[in-house]
Amino acid sequence: MRGILSLAVITFKEGIRNRSLFGIALLALFLFGLNITVAGFFMRDIGKVTVDMNLSALSVAGLLLVFFVGVNLMAKDIDRKTIHLVLSKPISRIEYIWGKYLGILFFVFVSLAILLALSSATVFFLHGSYPDYFGQFTWSVFFVAAFFVFVKIALLVSIVVFFSSITTNSFITLIFSVCAFIVGSTIEEVLFYLRSSFAAKELAISDSLRHLLEIVSYLVPNLSVFDFKTEAAHGLAIGLDRLGFSLAYAAVYITVLLLLASLIFRRREFN
Amino acid sequence: MGRLLLLITLLLSLGAHIFVSRQVWDTRAEARRSGEAAYVLPSRFSRILALGYQGLFSDYLFLKTLTFYGERQMLQKPLSEDDWHYLVTSLDVVTDLDPYFFDPYIFAEGTMAWEGKIAEANKLLEKGWRYRDFDWRIPYFIGFNYFYFLQDYEKGGNYIMEAAKLSGSPRFLPTLAARLTYYGGKSETAILFLKGMLADTEDPSFRATLEIRLLALERAAELEKMIERFKDDHGRSPNQVEELVARGYIDVLPIDPYGGQWILLKSGRVFSTSKFTTARKKE
Repeated sequence: MRGILSLAVITFKEGIRNRSLFGIALLALFLFGLNITVAGFFMRDIGKVTVDMNLSALSVAGLLLVFFVGVNLMAKDIDRKTIHLVLSKPISRIEYIWGKYLGILFFVFVSLAILLALSSATVFFLHGSYPDYFGQFTWSVFFVAAFFVFVKIALLVSIVVFFSSITTNSFITLIFSVCAFIVGSTIEEVLFYLRSSFAAKELAISDSLRHLLEIVSYLVPNLSVFDFKTEAAHGLAIGLDRLGFSLAYAAVYITVLLLLASLIFRRREFN
Repeated sequence: MGRLLLLITLLLSLGAHIFVSRQVWDTRAEARRSGEAAYVLPSRFSRILALGYQGLFSDYLFLKTLTFYGERQMLQKPLSEDDWHYLVTSLDVVTDLDPYFFDPYIFAEGTMAWEGKIAEANKLLEKGWRYRDFDWRIPYFIGFNYFYFLQDYEKGGNYIMEAAKLSGSPRFLPTLAARLTYYGGKSETAILFLKGMLADTEDPSFRATLEIRLLALERAAELEKMIERFKDDHGRSPNQVEELVARGYIDVLPIDPYGGQWILLKSGRVFSTSKFTTARKKE
């Protein structure tokens, strides 16, 4: 257990030192600035546009953190063979996987928390500038949606860890993780479209393909589950059951992936 | 020698770059001006391609539509059938991406409804009402369209009554519904409505459009008032608006800001040959 924690701390420190962090922070700042500029172009729903842009900026920054910093933190050890050094310490391979995961997670959490503080300042400023145009906006739903951006990123981190445990190259990990992200964010729309009556009229899809897609929907994470941007933008109430199930979905999915990664990693040979 | 050559080539290529990029931007500006309205990706694709950023995508698409409309207004170019088709489909996709987004609905009401696309505007607003069932303004808009454009006073009254039931609706709505049924289809009605919309609008170019329309309607309402007085005095309506000047009710006829001629409809409503739109004037 102490092994996991110390490895997590080291990973976190390594992440914070990464230069690309500045780039990601600059991009997020640029998006927040853009938001202040663009908000005035809209007619009535300025609050919605503000929340949309802020949460999207947070989410994009999170994705960049995972894909550029996270992949590096995980795969670099294997790429550069420094993993031999780490594994020569009294740390089991399973501890290595969980420690790395927690380290990256903590790193993403701290970075996103800083960005969320900046983002809240932007929303606060625009809220003050256009008090009549924020409709039903509520801070609580906004923060819930921001928290679920973090949950989504936490799930993506586990995907990165999983793919790093089976590939030998950080680039392949990156490609696989990006693909998983794209499939994960589109699977719900695709499936619901195929189930809808429109599709029945327009497309001839064989039953076997339909079954395959149903199976795929269990394999890839459905990232739309963590998307509360619309609710936050319009201040709509979110049922507690939806929040609970979303959180449980993420927890179970992450656990399964990390367990699989541990299993694979335990038997893996390094050369 | 080598360095000098490099520097000279660099300067020359920089000059060429500035020249070429200016040309490119000019040709793009020309292409955008003369080009037909763009194709809108159907929502069943754009919802998927948005990769979970449907809200942001709807903001962008709406801004694009707004710019398209604004550009046509600035160049005083009437919208062709294709342009209208683009506008209608684009707003439909925007509201498919985020059906709770209020701006497309208010924009549709301010443009489409007034330019004769009433059925399309109502269809979009009905979609808005399915989602924004807490918002009194949407049934209020639909009700107005039935009243003012379609002269269906019963349906219009029903929608405004529905609007009055929702929280946050102004206290005058029930009375308004009653008054509208009485005055149905007169300019006064539209003035009340436009003032409500202006109070809700921030965007300067859209405000300008609404303000011109308000001015035209206020002048029409002024004439309608004179016609009422004429009726009281003479027991009949004037044959033409010009008769008001001849009989000394008014010194000169006000100018229609859209550049049309005033006409007196049988219903007693004053209208203009411009039909209060810039688009048709050009045809």
